[in-house]
Amino acid sequence: MANSKFALFVVGAAVAAAQVSPERLVNAAREPQQWLTYSGSYNGQRFSSLDQINTKNVQQLALQWVFQTGVKGEHETTPLVIDGVMYLTAPEGHAYALDLRTGRPLWHYERNMPKDLSVCCGMVNRGLAAVGDRVFLATLDAHVVALDAKTGRVRWDVASADYKAGYSFTCAPLAIKDKVIVGVAGGEYGVRGFIDAYEAETGKRAWRFYTIPGEGEPGVETWKGDSWKRGGSPAWVTGSYDPELNTLYWGTGNPGPQMYGANRQGDNLYSDSLVALDPDTGKRKWHFQFTPHDTHDWDSVHVPVLIDEAIDGKPRKLVAVANRNGFFYLLDRTDGKYLFAKPYTKVTWAKEIAADGKPVVLPNSEPTPEGVVVCPGGIGGTNWHSPSYSPQTRLMYIFSKEMCTMFMADEKLEPPHRPGRPYIGSSFFPPAQQRDSSAVRAIDPKTGKIQWEFKHFTGAWSGVMSSAGGLVFTADGQGNFIALDAATGRDLWHLPLGGDIQAAAISYAVDGRQYIAITAGSAVFAFALSR
Amino acid sequence: MLRRMLLFGMITSGIAGAIWGQPSADAVKQGAVLFRQECVFCHGVNARGGVRGPDLTTGAWAHGGSDAELARTITDGVPGTAMPPNRLTEADVSQVIAYLRTQQQRAAPAAAGDAHRGESLFFGSARCSGCHMVNGRGGRVGPELSTVGSSRPRGYLVESIREPNRQLTESPASGIIYDTVIAVTRDGKTVTGVAMNEDTFTVQIMDLTERIHSLDKKSLKTVRHESRSLMPSYSADLLNESDLGDVVAYLQSLRAATPAVEKGATHGEQ
Repeated sequence: MANSKFALFVVGAAVAAAQVSPERLVNAAREPQQWLTYSGSYNGQRFSSLDQINTKNVQQLALQWVFQTGVKGEHETTPLVIDGVMYLTAPEGHAYALDLRTGRPLWHYERNMPKDLSVCCGMVNRGLAAVGDRVFLATLDAHVVALDAKTGRVRWDVASADYKAGYSFTCAPLAIKDKVIVGVAGGEYGVRGFIDAYEAETGKRAWRFYTIPGEGEPGVETWKGDSWKRGGSPAWVTGSYDPELNTLYWGTGNPGPQMYGANRQGDNLYSDSLVALDPDTGKRKWHFQFTPHDTHDWDSVHVPVLIDEAIDGKPRKLVAVANRNGFFYLLDRTDGKYLFAKPYTKVTWAKEIAADGKPVVLPNSEPTPEGVVVCPGGIGGTNWHSPSYSPQTRLMYIFSKEMCTMFMADEKLEPPHRPGRPYIGSSFFPPAQQRDSSAVRAIDPKTGKIQWEFKHFTGAWSGVMSSAGGLVFTADGQGNFIALDAATGRDLWHLPLGGDIQAAAISYAVDGRQYIAITAGSAVFAFALSR
Repeated sequence: MLRRMLLFGMITSGIAGAIWGQPSADAVKQGAVLFRQECVFCHGVNARGGVRGPDLTTGAWAHGGSDAELARTITDGVPGTAMPPNRLTEADVSQVIAYLRTQQQRAAPAAAGDAHRGESLFFGSARCSGCHMVNGRGGRVGPELSTVGSSRPRGYLVESIREPNRQLTESPASGIIYDTVIAVTRDGKTVTGVAMNEDTFTVQIMDLTERIHSLDKKSLKTVRHESRSLMPSYSADLLNESDLGDVVAYLQSLRAATPAVEKGATHGEQ
């Protein structure tokens, strides 16, 4: 009896240490040795204040361990690092906890995934959220699952929507207070998009915000007829949160059918928008639509980057978005007021963004039966890949594509809506002989001016992280993991990791030693300075 | 009601054309929608052929032209070519086939050309095999052509011989375009060839003597791509119309084996 009491005491102490309180998430910046949320902190900056690895010594980065998942498919996961454990996911519903010091697995969760999923772009997943003694996974079969952080055992598992109707999840959830927030995918399958909140304790759904207004709600008139019922507008990338304003910022995706707009005339709210929500109730505070009535697949699913800066001498709370439509936008995040937008890549569809925040659309940019070439292409000027902001350089770093595509659609060929089947309407593809190219671009968020760029050889597919060591981490399309000088864009170090790099890096520390980790191929690689 | 029965027939059989005769106008229209969504990237507008896939309007089907054979080609793809397996339902496939049937042009007169003579030219006086390999014979610098007849329409082949710079082939291994890469080393040596691979920091070039160079970009004075082929343009002076017809007939005879039904492969996703 005495023994078991003693055991209980010891275990109890350890459990208390492993708790992720909501306050820790709010104050993540005070624990730079951890990586507590998808973007590292609620502000979406994906910045590490650790500076042990810096511009002077980055050439001494050395591999410390590799963890191979053995799972096929694109690994887009951002690991979490909490109190000596790394948590990550792999495609098709795998999740792992690793001993942070050694990379040795502590547990593995594997979901029995149905075979008849409707997923446009691979069996991907981008990671987990953590709060309390759990981590949270949103699955391709449209469930939200709470896993015990110590064992990986299922604490609860709830169906959010019917995967057979085209709904799925690919994003890392975001934990705020006692809730876990997820945004749905399925914009190519005729879904009606939503953002959901679940009670972390019980799995009970606390609220749902439909990204398309329903019957009788303001905004439904921006959809022709009943097209709102299947208008897409998913929300498949993790948002950001301002605890002071108690506001959640989340991007929404393309209206559907993607390239066929004749049956959904109108602006199609709230597709291709940034929505600001009350995380307690899911009520909309404001919205800003980047691309009204989109016919080019320009999902506005980007991590919104929250920045505090003086504009015209006045301190402002800002949100910056490099949008898939090719423009970099700065908004006031208290009320969604549009401040300015500037192109950061080649743009042929709009002359500019007018003072009211709406694009001045150029002729010959709508898809036609024979095809029309528009820039940016369907992949966008950027895509879901995480941007980063360094408070040190006060620059925002983005993954930027230079690619135009041919867009085709024929008004006579209205696509049929069949639940769970593609609802696209047509296609886009690169014109022959176009080299796929991309770059990391450093943008001054106060002006939208590009300060420097680092060109990848061909189109990369990875996000960006910056650090107080004066570094920006990126990857090219051939699997090179690359460190750049955050001030100049000069490449300082790189290592081929032998697999596609489709995620963004993180940084953390173990026993006072800084690490950088990145997913490449089917593995996680952890680097530190050689001793 | 008849229409509903027809559709039902297609959904259940997947070979509606063969069983029910003419497919419905709806099926053709849905097939056109699906074609634009799934196929147009390679097979071009109205199925007239593109950079990656053959013209599907000629009535000549490399892997069988019955509904069942077309359904198999669409569903399972053609291994060894750019044609991937497709995740479509049987009903979708039958609609695509119904649409393709409406796109058939009147049979063009059989292209004149002696494939046997074309083969002799290819390995002989036309000197194609100096750079191109067919079934293990020939050079290494240019694209392999062992199955080119399955993947390229006749017009594309003619253009590639007469004006090779117009549309450069993509290497299936690396996705790299067969353009001309020219690297100049610090000591002024020039390496010209095709890139076997390349990333942000390095390039691997095969030169015209088939020597492979591994180069670090930072150690080079310059490295540039020119949007032209290393292949000479075969004007009528180099290859007259009759010889061209024979070479093209030979190339068109180079076909991928019709696949045995193979399950379990998945569609490559972006």
